[in-house]
Amino acid sequence: MKNRDTLITILRALIILLVQVLVLKRIGLSTHWWWQHGNIFLYPIIILLLPFRLTRHYVILLGFVIGLVIDIFYDTVGVHAFALTAMAYARGVLLTWLEPRGGYQLSMTPTNHVMGINWLMTYSAISMFIFCFLYFVGEIFTFVYLGQILLKTVITFFMSILVIMGYHLLFNPKK
Amino acid sequence: MNNLLQFVIRYSAFILFLLLEVVALTLVVKYNENQQGIFQHSSTLFSGKMYKFADNVYQYNHLQTFADSLASENASLKEKVFNLERSVQRLVPADQPMDSCILESYNLISAQIINNSINQRNNHFTIDKGKNDSIQNGMGVISEQGIVGIIDEVGKEYATAVSILHSAVQISAAIQRNGYFGSLVWKEADPLHMILEAVPRQADIQIGDTIITSGYSFIFPRGIYIGKVEQFWTEGGSNYYTIRVRLHEDIARMNRVYVVQYLEENLMKDEE
Repeated sequence: MKNRDTLITILRALIILLVQVLVLKRIGLSTHWWWQHGNIFLYPIIILLLPFRLTRHYVILLGFVIGLVIDIFYDTVGVHAFALTAMAYARGVLLTWLEPRGGYQLSMTPTNHVMGINWLMTYSAISMFIFCFLYFVGEIFTFVYLGQILLKTVITFFMSILVIMGYHLLFNPKK
Repeated sequence: MNNLLQFVIRYSAFILFLLLEVVALTLVVKYNENQQGIFQHSSTLFSGKMYKFADNVYQYNHLQTFADSLASENASLKEKVFNLERSVQRLVPADQPMDSCILESYNLISAQIINNSINQRNNHFTIDKGKNDSIQNGMGVISEQGIVGIIDEVGKEYATAVSILHSAVQISAAIQRNGYFGSLVWKEADPLHMILEAVPRQADIQIGDTIITSGYSFIFPRGIYIGKVEQFWTEGGSNYYTIRVRLHEDIARMNRVYVVQYLEENLMKDEE
Protein backbone atom coordinates (compact mmCIF):
# COMPACT_ATOMS: atom_id res chain seq x y z
CA MET A 1 0.00 0.00 0.00
CA LYS A 2 2.74 2.37 0.99
CA ASN A 3 4.72 1.52 -2.13
CA ARG A 4 1.75 2.23 -4.31
CA ASP A 5 1.32 5.65 -2.72
CA THR A 6 4.96 6.47 -3.29
CA LEU A 7 4.66 5.44 -6.92
CA ILE A 8 1.60 7.61 -7.37
CA THR A 9 3.39 10.57 -5.76
CA ILE A 10 6.36 10.17 -8.11
CA LEU A 11 4.17 9.81 -11.19
CA ARG A 12 2.15 12.85 -10.19
CA ALA A 13 5.36 14.84 -9.69
CA LEU A 14 6.59 13.88 -13.17
CA ILE A 15 3.32 14.88 -14.80
CA ILE A 16 3.29 18.22 -12.97
CA LEU A 17 6.89 18.88 -14.08
CA LEU A 18 5.96 18.13 -17.69
CA VAL A 19 2.93 20.42 -17.53
CA GLN A 20 5.16 23.14 -16.07
CA VAL A 21 7.89 23.07 -18.72
CA LEU A 22 5.80 22.18 -21.76
CA VAL A 23 2.54 24.04 -21.20
CA LEU A 24 2.79 26.70 -18.49
CA LYS A 25 6.14 27.98 -19.71
CA ARG A 26 4.76 28.46 -23.20
CA ILE A 27 1.65 30.29 -22.05
CA GLY A 28 3.83 33.14 -20.78
CA LEU A 29 5.36 33.65 -24.22
CA SER A 30 3.67 36.93 -25.07
CA THR A 31 4.67 40.56 -25.26
CA HIS A 32 1.60 41.59 -23.29
CA TRP A 33 2.40 43.70 -20.20
CA TRP A 34 0.85 41.14 -17.87
CA TRP A 35 2.97 38.26 -19.16
CA GLN A 36 6.12 40.36 -19.11
CA HIS A 37 5.76 40.41 -15.36
CA GLY A 38 3.99 37.19 -14.63
CA ASN A 39 4.73 33.50 -14.76
CA ILE A 40 2.61 30.60 -13.65
CA PHE A 41 4.45 28.28 -11.29
CA LEU A 42 2.52 25.13 -10.53
CA TYR A 43 5.39 22.78 -9.81
CA PRO A 44 6.10 23.93 -6.20
CA ILE A 45 2.88 22.05 -5.41
CA ILE A 46 5.01 18.90 -5.58
CA ILE A 47 6.79 20.05 -2.42
CA LEU A 48 3.57 21.32 -0.86
CA LEU A 49 1.90 17.96 -1.40
CA LEU A 50 4.60 15.77 0.17
CA PRO A 51 3.29 13.66 3.05
CA PHE A 52 3.75 14.92 6.62
CA ARG A 53 5.85 11.96 7.59
CA LEU A 54 8.72 12.91 5.28
CA THR A 55 11.60 14.40 7.26
CA ARG A 56 12.76 17.96 6.67
CA HIS A 57 16.02 16.74 5.17
CA TYR A 58 14.24 14.83 2.44
CA VAL A 59 11.99 17.75 1.66
CA ILE A 60 14.89 20.21 1.43
CA LEU A 61 16.93 17.88 -0.75
CA LEU A 62 13.96 17.22 -3.01
CA GLY A 63 13.36 20.96 -3.29
CA PHE A 64 16.91 21.47 -4.46
CA VAL A 65 16.82 18.63 -7.00
CA ILE A 66 13.42 19.57 -8.47
CA GLY A 67 14.57 23.19 -8.67
CA LEU A 68 17.65 22.17 -10.64
CA VAL A 69 15.57 20.09 -13.05
CA ILE A 70 13.29 23.05 -13.74
CA ASP A 71 16.38 25.25 -14.13
CA ILE A 72 17.57 23.09 -17.01
CA PHE A 73 14.34 23.69 -18.87
CA TYR A 74 14.07 27.38 -18.02
CA ASP A 75 17.77 28.10 -18.72
CA THR A 76 17.94 29.90 -15.39
CA VAL A 77 20.72 27.92 -13.65
CA GLY A 78 20.28 27.89 -9.91
CA VAL A 79 17.45 30.38 -9.60
CA HIS A 80 14.64 27.84 -9.28
CA ALA A 81 16.82 25.64 -7.08
CA PHE A 82 17.51 28.62 -4.81
CA ALA A 83 13.85 29.56 -4.44
CA LEU A 84 12.50 26.03 -4.10
CA THR A 85 15.09 24.96 -1.50
CA ALA A 86 14.10 27.95 0.59
CA MET A 87 10.44 27.10 0.20
CA ALA A 88 11.12 23.50 1.17
CA TYR A 89 12.90 24.66 4.32
CA ALA A 90 10.09 27.09 5.09
CA ARG A 91 7.61 24.21 4.80
CA GLY A 92 9.05 22.62 7.92
CA VAL A 93 8.78 25.88 9.87
CA LEU A 94 5.30 26.57 8.54
CA LEU A 95 4.01 23.12 9.46
CA THR A 96 5.13 23.72 13.03
CA TRP A 97 3.39 27.10 13.13
CA LEU A 98 0.20 25.88 11.58
CA GLU A 99 0.02 22.64 13.54
CA PRO A 100 -3.58 21.98 14.59
CA ARG A 101 -4.36 21.14 18.21
CA GLY A 102 -4.50 17.41 17.59
CA GLY A 103 -1.22 17.35 15.64
CA TYR A 104 -0.89 15.89 12.16
CA GLN A 105 -1.80 12.40 11.07
CA LEU A 106 1.64 11.49 9.87
CA SER A 107 0.47 9.15 7.14
CA MET A 108 -1.51 11.95 5.52
CA THR A 109 -0.64 14.75 3.10
CA PRO A 110 -1.53 18.43 3.35
CA THR A 111 -4.65 18.48 1.17
CA ASN A 112 -8.08 20.02 1.22
CA HIS A 113 -9.50 16.61 2.06
CA VAL A 114 -7.37 16.23 5.19
CA MET A 115 -6.77 19.75 6.47
CA GLY A 116 -9.65 21.84 5.15
CA ILE A 117 -9.60 24.73 2.71
CA ASN A 118 -8.67 27.52 5.15
CA TRP A 119 -5.63 25.74 6.46
CA LEU A 120 -4.59 24.75 2.95
CA MET A 121 -5.00 28.27 1.63
CA THR A 122 -2.82 29.77 4.39
CA TYR A 123 -0.19 27.10 3.99
CA SER A 124 -0.04 27.34 0.18
CA ALA A 125 -0.19 31.13 0.06
CA ILE A 126 2.65 31.72 2.53
CA SER A 127 4.83 29.09 0.85
CA MET A 128 4.16 30.40 -2.63
CA PHE A 129 4.79 34.00 -1.65
CA ILE A 130 8.19 33.02 -0.26
CA PHE A 131 8.90 31.05 -3.42
CA CYS A 132 7.87 33.78 -5.87
CA PHE A 133 9.69 36.54 -4.01
CA LEU A 134 12.95 34.56 -3.76
CA TYR A 135 12.63 33.44 -7.37
CA PHE A 136 12.65 37.02 -8.62
CA VAL A 137 15.35 38.05 -6.13
CA GLY A 138 17.47 35.25 -7.62
CA GLU A 139 16.57 36.05 -11.21
CA ILE A 140 17.07 39.80 -11.11
CA PHE A 141 19.86 39.40 -8.56
CA THR A 142 20.06 42.94 -7.28
CA PHE A 143 17.89 44.86 -4.87
CA VAL A 144 18.23 47.97 -7.02
CA TYR A 145 15.12 46.87 -8.87
CA LEU A 146 13.10 46.17 -5.72
CA GLY A 147 10.00 47.66 -7.38
CA GLN A 148 10.34 45.27 -10.32
CA ILE A 149 10.90 42.34 -7.98
CA LEU A 150 7.79 43.16 -5.94
CA LEU A 151 5.58 43.76 -8.98
CA LYS A 152 6.63 40.49 -10.59
CA THR A 153 6.28 38.65 -7.29
CA VAL A 154 2.73 39.88 -6.77
CA ILE A 155 1.53 39.10 -10.30
CA THR A 156 3.22 35.70 -10.41
CA PHE A 157 2.04 34.85 -6.91
CA PHE A 158 -1.53 35.74 -7.81
CA MET A 159 -1.61 33.55 -10.93
CA SER A 160 0.30 30.66 -9.35
CA ILE A 161 -1.85 30.43 -6.25
CA LEU A 162 -4.97 30.47 -8.43
CA VAL A 163 -3.65 27.54 -10.44
CA ILE A 164 -2.52 25.66 -7.32
CA MET A 165 -5.87 26.07 -5.55
CA GLY A 166 -7.53 25.16 -8.84
CA TYR A 167 -5.49 21.96 -8.86
CA HIS A 168 -6.67 21.12 -5.34
CA LEU A 169 -10.32 21.78 -6.11
CA LEU A 170 -10.23 20.01 -9.46
CA PHE A 171 -8.33 16.87 -8.56
CA ASN A 172 -8.99 16.92 -4.81
CA PRO A 173 -5.96 14.73 -4.08
CA LYS A 174 -6.39 12.52 -1.05
CA LYS A 175 -2.90 11.13 -0.75
CA MET B 1 32.78 18.38 21.36
CA ASN B 2 29.62 16.71 22.53
CA ASN B 3 27.86 20.05 22.52
CA LEU B 4 28.98 20.76 19.01
CA LEU B 5 27.74 17.39 17.84
CA GLN B 6 24.40 17.98 19.49
CA PHE B 7 24.19 21.37 17.87
CA VAL B 8 24.86 19.91 14.45
CA ILE B 9 22.25 17.21 14.93
CA ARG B 10 19.69 19.64 16.26
CA TYR B 11 20.13 22.07 13.42
CA SER B 12 21.00 19.58 10.70
CA ALA B 13 17.97 20.54 8.57
CA PHE B 14 18.93 24.18 8.74
CA ILE B 15 22.57 23.39 7.94
CA LEU B 16 21.54 21.30 4.94
CA PHE B 17 19.30 24.14 3.80
CA LEU B 18 22.14 26.68 4.08
CA LEU B 19 24.52 24.38 2.26
CA LEU B 20 22.18 23.83 -0.68
CA GLU B 21 21.37 27.54 -0.87
CA VAL B 22 25.07 28.32 -1.10
CA VAL B 23 25.39 25.84 -3.95
CA ALA B 24 22.36 27.33 -5.74
CA LEU B 25 23.62 30.89 -5.31
CA THR B 26 27.07 29.90 -6.51
CA LEU B 27 25.45 28.56 -9.66
CA VAL B 28 23.49 31.78 -10.13
CA VAL B 29 26.54 33.98 -9.65
CA LYS B 30 28.89 31.84 -11.69
CA TYR B 31 26.39 31.73 -14.49
CA ASN B 32 25.77 35.45 -14.41
CA GLU B 33 29.48 36.13 -14.66
CA ASN B 34 30.15 33.90 -17.54
CA GLN B 35 27.61 33.03 -20.16
CA GLN B 36 29.00 29.63 -21.02
CA GLY B 37 28.33 28.37 -17.55
CA ILE B 38 29.32 25.04 -16.18
CA PHE B 39 25.80 23.90 -16.49
CA GLN B 40 24.09 22.07 -19.28
CA HIS B 41 21.11 23.96 -20.64
CA SER B 42 18.28 23.04 -22.84
CA SER B 43 20.79 22.35 -25.60
CA THR B 44 21.29 18.96 -24.02
CA LEU B 45 19.85 16.01 -25.82
CA PHE B 46 17.21 15.12 -23.27
CA SER B 47 15.46 18.41 -22.79
CA GLY B 48 16.01 19.27 -26.45
CA LYS B 49 14.21 16.11 -27.56
CA MET B 50 11.31 16.84 -25.24
CA TYR B 51 10.96 20.38 -26.47
CA LYS B 52 11.19 19.23 -30.06
CA PHE B 53 8.35 16.80 -29.47
CA ALA B 54 6.18 19.39 -27.74
CA ASP B 55 6.95 21.89 -30.46
CA ASN B 56 5.82 19.48 -33.15
CA VAL B 57 2.50 19.13 -31.37
CA TYR B 58 2.07 22.90 -31.05
CA GLN B 59 3.18 23.71 -34.55
CA TYR B 60 0.82 21.20 -36.13
CA ASN B 61 -2.02 23.62 -35.47
CA HIS B 62 -0.21 26.44 -37.20
CA LEU B 63 0.98 24.68 -40.33
CA GLN B 64 -1.21 26.73 -42.65
CA THR B 65 -0.03 30.05 -41.18
CA PHE B 66 3.54 28.86 -41.53
CA ALA B 67 3.12 27.82 -45.12
CA ASP B 68 1.59 31.20 -45.90
CA SER B 69 4.31 33.21 -44.22
CA LEU B 70 7.03 31.10 -45.84
CA ALA B 71 5.45 31.56 -49.23
CA SER B 72 5.28 35.31 -48.87
CA GLU B 73 8.84 35.41 -47.60
CA ASN B 74 9.87 33.34 -50.58
CA ALA B 75 8.15 35.75 -52.95
CA SER B 76 9.86 38.78 -51.46
CA LEU B 77 13.23 37.02 -51.59
CA LYS B 78 12.74 36.03 -55.24
CA GLU B 79 11.88 39.62 -56.03
CA LYS B 80 15.08 40.74 -54.32
CA VAL B 81 17.19 38.19 -56.21
CA PHE B 82 15.75 39.24 -59.59
CA ASN B 83 16.39 42.89 -58.89
CA LEU B 84 19.90 42.25 -57.59
CA GLU B 85 20.75 40.07 -60.56
CA ARG B 86 19.64 42.81 -62.91
CA SER B 87 21.73 45.37 -61.05
CA VAL B 88 24.77 43.08 -61.06
CA GLN B 89 24.34 42.40 -64.76
CA ARG B 90 24.48 46.09 -65.46
CA LEU B 91 27.76 46.44 -63.52
CA VAL B 92 29.56 43.33 -64.73
CA PRO B 93 31.42 43.25 -68.08
CA ALA B 94 29.34 41.25 -70.52
CA ASP B 95 31.93 38.53 -71.18
CA GLN B 96 32.18 37.42 -67.53
CA PRO B 97 29.78 34.90 -66.06
CA MET B 98 27.74 36.67 -63.44
CA ASP B 99 28.05 33.96 -60.80
CA SER B 100 31.78 34.57 -60.42
CA CYS B 101 31.12 38.14 -59.31
CA ILE B 102 28.80 37.32 -56.46
CA LEU B 103 30.66 37.13 -53.17
CA GLU B 104 29.44 34.21 -51.16
CA SER B 105 30.41 35.34 -47.72
CA TYR B 106 27.43 34.24 -45.68
CA ASN B 107 25.62 30.95 -45.45
CA LEU B 108 22.21 30.66 -43.79
CA ILE B 109 21.21 27.52 -41.91
CA SER B 110 17.48 27.22 -41.39
CA ALA B 111 16.35 26.16 -37.93
CA GLN B 112 13.33 26.11 -35.67
CA ILE B 113 13.00 27.61 -32.19
CA ILE B 114 11.76 24.86 -29.90
CA ASN B 115 12.02 26.61 -26.55
CA ASN B 116 11.88 30.33 -25.99
CA SER B 117 11.42 32.86 -23.23
CA ILE B 118 11.10 36.63 -23.23
CA ASN B 119 10.07 37.67 -19.74
CA GLN B 120 13.19 36.82 -17.76
CA ARG B 121 16.02 39.23 -17.07
CA ASN B 122 18.28 37.11 -19.28
CA ASN B 123 16.48 35.25 -22.01
CA HIS B 124 17.61 32.24 -23.98
CA PHE B 125 16.13 30.06 -26.66
CA THR B 126 16.85 26.61 -28.05
CA ILE B 127 16.96 25.67 -31.72
CA ASP B 128 16.69 22.23 -33.28
CA LYS B 129 20.08 22.33 -35.03
CA GLY B 130 23.46 21.67 -33.46
CA LYS B 131 27.01 20.55 -34.13
CA ASN B 132 25.74 18.03 -36.68
CA ASP B 133 24.49 20.90 -38.81
CA SER B 134 27.76 22.86 -38.37
CA ILE B 135 26.30 25.33 -35.89
CA GLN B 136 29.07 26.98 -33.87
CA ASN B 137 29.37 29.23 -30.88
CA GLY B 138 29.00 32.92 -31.64
CA MET B 139 26.97 32.63 -34.83
CA GLY B 140 24.16 35.13 -35.25
CA VAL B 141 20.52 34.08 -35.45
CA ILE B 142 18.05 36.07 -37.55
CA SER B 143 14.46 35.63 -38.60
CA GLU B 144 12.32 36.99 -41.37
CA GLN B 145 11.54 39.94 -39.10
CA GLY B 146 15.03 40.80 -37.90
CA ILE B 147 17.79 39.77 -35.53
CA VAL B 148 16.97 37.26 -32.83
CA GLY B 149 20.10 36.27 -30.91
CA ILE B 150 23.56 34.76 -30.83
CA ILE B 151 24.44 31.06 -30.44
CA ASP B 152 25.93 30.43 -27.05
CA GLU B 153 26.13 26.73 -26.42
CA VAL B 154 26.10 23.96 -29.00
CA GLY B 155 24.96 20.42 -28.39
CA LYS B 156 25.04 17.60 -30.91
CA GLU B 157 21.53 18.06 -32.21
CA TYR B 158 20.43 21.23 -30.46
CA ALA B 159 21.91 24.59 -29.61
CA THR B 160 21.06 27.28 -27.10
CA ALA B 161 21.31 30.93 -28.02
CA VAL B 162 21.38 34.13 -26.01
CA SER B 163 18.35 36.13 -27.05
CA ILE B 164 18.81 39.81 -27.94
CA LEU B 165 16.65 40.21 -24.82
CA HIS B 166 19.59 39.51 -22.51
CA SER B 167 21.28 41.97 -20.19
CA ALA B 168 24.77 41.11 -21.47
CA VAL B 169 24.02 41.48 -25.16
CA GLN B 170 25.68 44.29 -27.10
CA ILE B 171 25.18 44.59 -30.83
CA SER B 172 26.60 47.12 -33.26
CA ALA B 173 23.65 48.79 -34.97
CA ALA B 174 23.26 51.67 -37.41
CA ILE B 175 20.64 54.12 -38.63
CA GLN B 176 19.76 52.96 -42.11
CA ARG B 177 19.26 56.43 -43.59
CA ASN B 178 22.67 57.89 -42.77
CA GLY B 179 24.88 55.11 -41.43
CA TYR B 180 25.56 56.58 -37.98
CA PHE B 181 26.05 53.72 -35.59
CA GLY B 182 26.05 52.89 -31.92
CA SER B 183 25.73 49.92 -29.67
CA LEU B 184 22.44 48.22 -28.99
CA VAL B 185 21.66 46.93 -25.49
CA TRP B 186 18.65 45.58 -23.62
CA LYS B 187 18.20 47.64 -20.50
CA GLU B 188 14.57 48.02 -19.64
CA ALA B 189 13.55 44.36 -19.46
CA ASP B 190 10.78 45.11 -21.94
CA PRO B 191 10.61 42.62 -24.84
CA LEU B 192 9.48 45.27 -27.31
CA HIS B 193 12.22 47.86 -26.77
CA MET B 194 16.00 48.06 -26.89
CA ILE B 195 18.31 51.02 -26.36
CA LEU B 196 20.81 52.21 -28.96
CA GLU B 197 23.61 54.03 -27.16
CA ALA B 198 26.53 56.20 -28.14
CA VAL B 199 25.23 57.59 -31.42
CA PRO B 200 27.16 60.84 -32.09
CA ARG B 201 25.17 64.03 -31.58
CA GLN B 202 25.71 65.32 -35.10
CA ALA B 203 23.65 62.42 -36.44
CA ASP B 204 20.33 63.45 -37.92
CA ILE B 205 17.70 61.24 -36.33
CA GLN B 206 13.99 61.20 -36.90
CA ILE B 207 11.29 59.26 -35.13
CA GLY B 208 10.45 56.24 -37.24
CA ASP B 209 13.93 55.83 -38.74
CA THR B 210 14.87 52.24 -39.39
CA ILE B 211 17.66 50.70 -37.34
CA ILE B 212 19.68 47.90 -38.96
CA THR B 213 22.75 45.86 -38.12
CA SER B 214 25.91 47.76 -38.96
CA GLY B 215 27.94 44.85 -40.30
CA TYR B 216 30.99 45.89 -38.25
CA SER B 217 31.14 42.44 -36.72
CA PHE B 218 30.89 39.17 -38.58
CA ILE B 219 28.05 37.89 -36.43
CA PHE B 220 25.37 39.62 -38.46
CA PRO B 221 25.69 40.76 -42.07
CA ARG B 222 25.00 44.43 -42.72
CA GLY B 223 21.43 45.57 -43.14
CA ILE B 224 19.39 43.11 -41.07
CA TYR B 225 16.32 44.85 -39.69
CA ILE B 226 16.27 45.54 -35.94
CA GLY B 227 13.53 48.07 -35.30
CA LYS B 228 12.30 51.64 -35.58
CA VAL B 229 13.31 54.75 -33.62
CA GLU B 230 10.60 55.49 -31.10
CA GLN B 231 12.23 58.17 -28.96
CA PHE B 232 15.67 59.77 -28.60
CA TRP B 233 17.41 62.07 -26.16
CA THR B 234 20.82 63.08 -24.83
CA GLU B 235 21.69 62.23 -21.26
CA GLY B 236 22.64 65.50 -19.51
CA GLY B 237 25.65 67.09 -21.22
CA SER B 238 26.68 63.98 -23.08
CA ASN B 239 27.82 64.19 -26.69
CA TYR B 240 25.87 61.13 -27.63
CA TYR B 241 22.26 60.34 -28.34
CA THR B 242 20.42 57.55 -26.60
CA ILE B 243 17.73 56.07 -28.78
CA ARG B 244 14.83 53.86 -27.78
CA VAL B 245 14.22 51.33 -30.53
CA ARG B 246 10.93 49.52 -30.97
CA LEU B 247 11.49 45.92 -32.05
CA HIS B 248 9.20 43.86 -34.25
CA GLU B 249 6.02 42.67 -32.58
CA ASP B 250 6.41 39.00 -33.37
CA ILE B 251 9.28 38.32 -31.03
CA ALA B 252 7.05 36.10 -28.87
CA ARG B 253 5.65 34.05 -31.73
CA MET B 254 8.88 33.57 -33.62
CA ASN B 255 9.51 30.07 -34.84
CA ARG B 256 11.49 29.84 -38.08
CA VAL B 257 14.97 31.30 -37.83
CA TYR B 258 18.22 31.30 -39.79
CA VAL B 259 21.65 30.85 -38.30
CA VAL B 260 24.25 33.01 -40.03
CA GLN B 261 27.49 31.31 -40.91
CA TYR B 262 30.30 33.61 -42.01
CA LEU B 263 32.34 32.15 -44.87
CA GLU B 264 34.77 34.91 -45.80
CA GLU B 265 37.80 33.07 -44.45
CA ASN B 266 37.09 30.01 -46.57
CA LEU B 267 36.76 32.22 -49.61
CA MET B 268 40.17 33.76 -49.02
CA LYS B 269 41.72 30.32 -48.69
CA ASP B 270 40.21 29.37 -52.04
CA GLU B 271 41.69 32.41 -53.68
CA GLU B 272 45.16 31.62 -52.43
